Amino acid sequence: MHKIIRNIFSRKLSSVKDPTTEDFEITGLQLKEHVCRVFGRSLAIRELDSGSDNSAEIELNNLSTPHYDIERFGVSFVASPRHADVLLITGAVTRNMQEAVMKTYAAMPRPCWVIAVGDDACGEGLLNGSYGVLGGADKVLPVDFKIPGNPPAPLEIMQGLASFMESIRQPKA
Amino acid sequence: MMDIVTTGLMTHLESRQIGSRFSRGEGGEYYLRVPGDGIIEAAGWLANREDLALIGIWAVPGHEKDCLELYYAFELKQPSPALVMIAEVKNNQAPSIYKIFPAAINFERRARDWYGLDFTSLPDTRRLLLHEAYPADFHPMVDSDPETLSSNLATTEYSFKKFEGEGLYQVPVGPVHAGIIEPGHFRFSVIGETIFNLELRLGYKHRGLNKLAEGKTVAEVNKLSESISGDESAVNACSFSLAVEKIAGAELPKRAWELRTILLEMERLYSHLGDLAGMLVDVGYPIGASPFFILREEIMRWNATFTGSRFLKGAIIPGGLSRDIEDGMLQKFKFFLVTFSRRMRKALSDVDESAWVIDRFETTGIVSPELVAPLSLSGPVARASGYDGDTRQLHTYGVYTGLKYTIPVKTSGDVLARFRVKAEEAASSIDIISETIARCSPGPVFSGFDPGSGQAIAMLEAPRGRNIHWLRVKNGTVEHWEVITASFCNWPAIEHAVINNILPDFPVINKSFNLSYAGNDL
Repeated sequence: MHKIIRNIFSRKLSSVKDPTTEDFEITGLQLKEHVCRVFGRSLAIRELDSGSDNSAEIELNNLSTPHYDIERFGVSFVASPRHADVLLITGAVTRNMQEAVMKTYAAMPRPCWVIAVGDDACGEGLLNGSYGVLGGADKVLPVDFKIPGNPPAPLEIMQGLASFMESIRQPKA
Repeated sequence: MMDIVTTGLMTHLESRQIGSRFSRGEGGEYYLRVPGDGIIEAAGWLANREDLALIGIWAVPGHEKDCLELYYAFELKQPSPALVMIAEVKNNQAPSIYKIFPAAINFERRARDWYGLDFTSLPDTRRLLLHEAYPADFHPMVDSDPETLSSNLATTEYSFKKFEGEGLYQVPVGPVHAGIIEPGHFRFSVIGETIFNLELRLGYKHRGLNKLAEGKTVAEVNKLSESISGDESAVNACSFSLAVEKIAGAELPKRAWELRTILLEMERLYSHLGDLAGMLVDVGYPIGASPFFILREEIMRWNATFTGSRFLKGAIIPGGLSRDIEDGMLQKFKFFLVTFSRRMRKALSDVDESAWVIDRFETTGIVSPELVAPLSLSGPVARASGYDGDTRQLHTYGVYTGLKYTIPVKTSGDVLARFRVKAEEAASSIDIISETIARCSPGPVFSGFDPGSGQAIAMLEAPRGRNIHWLRVKNGTVEHWEVITASFCNWPAIEHAVINNILPDFPVINKSFNLSYAGNDL
């Protein structure tokens, strides 16, 4: 109890982040600007693991931890595909997951976008040629944007999301 | 000690007129070849020893054409090599040993999927890793032609166990979960809020890694082993490399093993910190979880500083390490760990002072100590239920022999016990890292070798428990590769742990195990 009271009244201790120098903050603010323009302040992402090695999931989870806290920039991970603007797919699509991947995509409201995260989902991984996988995400779904990496670091994912937003703001002629 | 067991077993088999042939493997393990029907007699005799566990069953194509052999691996709970029994398979049929060693069921189901082997009296003949998208007669390890697979979707439905009764209903969860988690299906049968039964169905991430490895060079398969489970990249690469090095008879420079030890313990550290944070999030205590998330992120950044990868990928290769780590950097890290360890203790004591968190953890999701042996559990899950074994001591490798470290054991088997075991293991990892850095020797971190031919088993303690790689190499090319992660044996324990708990407690129970789906499905 005394801890809670002390926490409320004591001086706040938190390192100051300078948004003009840190890469993550710069990218975050760019992303936020795009998100405000296109999606009216919030970009809802549904993550779907179609057969990754779990490292991409860990990095996506890390985006919500204190060091990054991606929600400040208007990006949230949602529980249902029915609430999502973007389907973020990680890992090569396994034969066992094919049906679930297609059903998840079908459950999304339109318009919607698909982003492949990680080398396997981008179709460049080590698993090509295995009986167990169909290949990259674009073998099953229309992929709009790719963020490669094994796995991409949180900053790279943010930069990827910012470039994705740019790409949908300037549709190709 | 295993030599006494093996001699005893051979004498026993002889008395029953069953011939057996003994040999030593490249990795120091014992091989005992018995006739196909002799395995029941042998397993029955081995089951009399309480400190002996079945740690794996796998099928391997024999040296002659169209002939299969089944490998049964056993481990003693004391420092001693593993015993691997080899039984030839006749007419694609083998006896199931699940009545003697219950952990055999899933191993046998896996071999059944992959090779089409018929295990007589196997109680569960549903497919384990190949789902409805695969034709019933497709067995990837023998039918090598994936062209026969069409991309047709499932038409049949998997038969879950049926439960009926007044007030009993089912909650199907997955494969796609609400959070950012790997896919898997959980079928709960619930009365009110209380879980009456849970049935798992995994295999959604089956990528066919073992088949993919055949015919590749050891360097290529080493890369593949890093994708078995992303947060166990270092330990899988190290297990694979160790098997390769045992076959080649390669001697590694001391510094290579010292740096490997540091990396392996860093992996355990960041993995456990993530679990601690996850458990706190799942009881609704984000304030308590944040310090652990921050600590983990810092270790992951050090991972990147040391190896260029936040998941330690590409660092450990057969023969040593792909690059050296500067001594100055190591000293900096050691210095960093001093304050790090203080911050971790502070975060833990804050959790201890939150009575309601302890209340949620205590008596939740109990794995009873009696389950450890029959299910062949290992790692923190087993050590929270009174098992005092650790692969670092049972099959010691690298520089662990010369290090002093504690292996925490708890007996209550609940979420709190797993929380404490993981917290204490994280602290012990910090000690190991500091001590290893302090005595790090100079020199090269890689020694070239000729891969050669042969077969060997390599066992390491992954963050989740016992990690086994069995490898057969011919002139530097992988002929057969078998992987048994700790997750494979530990998953069924969750089915037991959740019974009589309430459904809302499932996330924290699951997180306290934090098993790998990818590592299970391969």
